[in-house]
Amino acid sequence: MTYKKKNSDISKERLEMNVSSKKVKEQDREDKKKDAKNIILSIQNASYRYSDADEDDYALKNVSFDFESGKIYAIRGRSGTGKTTLLSLISGLERCTEGEIVFNGKSLKEMNLDKYRNSDIGIVFQSYNLLPFMTASENIILSMDANGLKIKNKKEKAIELMEKVGLKEAYKDRKVLRLSGGEQQRVAIARSLSYNPKMIIADEPTGNLDKQTETEILEIFKKLAHEENKCVIIVTHSQNVCDAVDVVYDLKKVQER
Amino acid sequence: MFILKNAWISIKRNKGRNILIGIIILIIACACTVTLAIKNTAVDLIDSYKSAYDKEVTIGFNRENMMKDFDPSQQEGRESAREKFDNIASYTISDVTKFADSKYIESYYYTYSVGLNGNTIEKAEIESNNDMPNFGNHGGKANVSSTDFTLTGYSSQDAMSEFISGAYTMSEIADNAWDIAFNGNYVFINEELASYNDLKLNDKIKLEDEDGNTYEFEILGIFKENEEDSSESMSMFSNSVNTIITNADAIVNLTEKNENLKASISPTFIIDSYDNVEKLQAEFYEKGLDENFILQTNEELAESGVSSVKNIDSFATTFLVITLLIGGIVLFVINMINIRERKYEIGVLRTIGISKLKLTMQFVSELVIVAFVALLVGAGIGAVSSKGISNSLLANEIESSNERTEEIGKNFGGAKMNGEMPNRGGDRGNMHGKGMPVVQVYDSIDAVVDVKVLLELLGIGLTLVLVSSIASMVSIQRFSPLTILKERS
Repeated sequence: MTYKKKNSDISKERLEMNVSSKKVKEQDREDKKKDAKNIILSIQNASYRYSDADEDDYALKNVSFDFESGKIYAIRGRSGTGKTTLLSLISGLERCTEGEIVFNGKSLKEMNLDKYRNSDIGIVFQSYNLLPFMTASENIILSMDANGLKIKNKKEKAIELMEKVGLKEAYKDRKVLRLSGGEQQRVAIARSLSYNPKMIIADEPTGNLDKQTETEILEIFKKLAHEENKCVIIVTHSQNVCDAVDVVYDLKKVQER
Repeated sequence: MFILKNAWISIKRNKGRNILIGIIILIIACACTVTLAIKNTAVDLIDSYKSAYDKEVTIGFNRENMMKDFDPSQQEGRESAREKFDNIASYTISDVTKFADSKYIESYYYTYSVGLNGNTIEKAEIESNNDMPNFGNHGGKANVSSTDFTLTGYSSQDAMSEFISGAYTMSEIADNAWDIAFNGNYVFINEELASYNDLKLNDKIKLEDEDGNTYEFEILGIFKENEEDSSESMSMFSNSVNTIITNADAIVNLTEKNENLKASISPTFIIDSYDNVEKLQAEFYEKGLDENFILQTNEELAESGVSSVKNIDSFATTFLVITLLIGGIVLFVINMINIRERKYEIGVLRTIGISKLKLTMQFVSELVIVAFVALLVGAGIGAVSSKGISNSLLANEIESSNERTEEIGKNFGGAKMNGEMPNRGGDRGNMHGKGMPVVQVYDSIDAVVDVKVLLELLGIGLTLVLVSSIASMVSIQRFSPLTILKERS
């Protein structure tokens, strides 16, 4: 992976990123081929420019990352490096202006992104993004409904998921606004797991939480990756998170641990 | 199912807003129901009124044609006009029967007149000018005025226009008069003539023609001519004093007995539509009607009677449009506010993969559910109030309609008619139809909210809801979930 400096303009400089991975750096082509079957998501020279931006004013340019199942990743970068833009591209909330993102061998350009979001990936936000007028279990069931999941007792399944992320059953009928930040984030994770997606994408999931809760949440993500073979991608500023994950992608340089 | 479930949850959650929307739609529904009921009733009323006034065609002189070459300043011109008038080919009862055999004519009736002298009764002396030619009886040129009496025969009660209009009123009538009046030598005479000759009900009178043949008639009724309708109010007797009323069959029998008797006929044809008058006239000319005659209709009369109802109809339409316009704008604004308030919810739902279409359907479903309930309740309230409102708006129409019906009944001596008013429609096509003319009775306007009104209301309501939610539909299509969530964060 190379770093191309186009001009001295700082705003452009931050968009032309030389990405590297601290672990993948020394791997040769053969290793890559070997691992290719585990790659669930591949970002290939993805660029993004807002529709009202100038022709050269990219929010993200020529980014290429691969993500494998069973691993937990962190995407790190300074403010304005396009972390959120990248997250929105991965989660199918926006489409690449150039390049492409391939999920399970299929370009997102060819996929129904609504379907992709409600069956292939689960998204967890820093501000949880739960519906405040619903209870914890209702938020989880809503996600199952959006997926079209056909199971007999959705509430039971919701409680099961809540327990899995460390929430007591007693919380099931509690409005989410009456839950603490950590509890809300657990509900958000449970919601993202409701239809058993292959990949979890989390945007600063521990940004609003204390250190103890952060550790607990990270433990949940680790379990999902290592025990349930899910690919977990976390966009973060936190060094704690970066220390806990398997791979860190830096939007300035690629590091492999 | 998911859409409806979510819509229902949202309705329950946003009770305040949905109650407000419901109240607005309920008010619109009430106003629409009342307005639609009034409109439909007004249309029915107009139809009924027009059907009460049959589409009548009579034969009249084509004055324009006749006066074409007339120059009143020259003696020759006057003579030529007189000659022209004398040479107009008259039409007979057989011609009328022939004319009536047309696909445009539903039924017909006629008045048949003949001049006779008194045998057992004396003509009442009057000062009016009896030498004036009778242009009204344009069917023939029988000089009825040179005789003592004019015997006028009606083919049915429909033809008795003087009684319908109130010019004549029955003052005495035999109990069974209307059962037998059209089947034999029975007459109604003017009360002045009755008094002059000291005649009473069921007396027999004899009349004779100029050849000396006598004809006996029994008096079934005595009528009076209302003074206000008389153009000769200064004379001792009314115009109709020497007019004796009988049935058309009786006159036909007279003319069959004495071929020298010249009778004049005035037919009235009931047609299916005023649009066919020109075609009918062409058909009459083909069948031998002199081109100095033209067909005349009562269309103006029928139209004039419904003008006030038409005003109410157009008022109702204007009210409906204004209600819908204001209601639509209010709903539109509430929808816009609703969407803005629920932007975050839209963002979350879009993020978890609910498509724009499903989301739009959910929002529209919420509105449709609330609207449907409000429309039903509104229709119920409207149904209850529409009758009273309609009746108060149309009170004058009801009153004048009732007065007119009672008036006609009285003119025919209604009190002695055993309360029976057979529908003249049943006698259509029968030249001897004896039915009593019927004018629609409106004791109240039946402004009911029927299936038609409900369907119209449902159509209008749902269209209004959909149109007013267009803004929200467009907003949902344009919202970027990421932007929404960023704003929230």
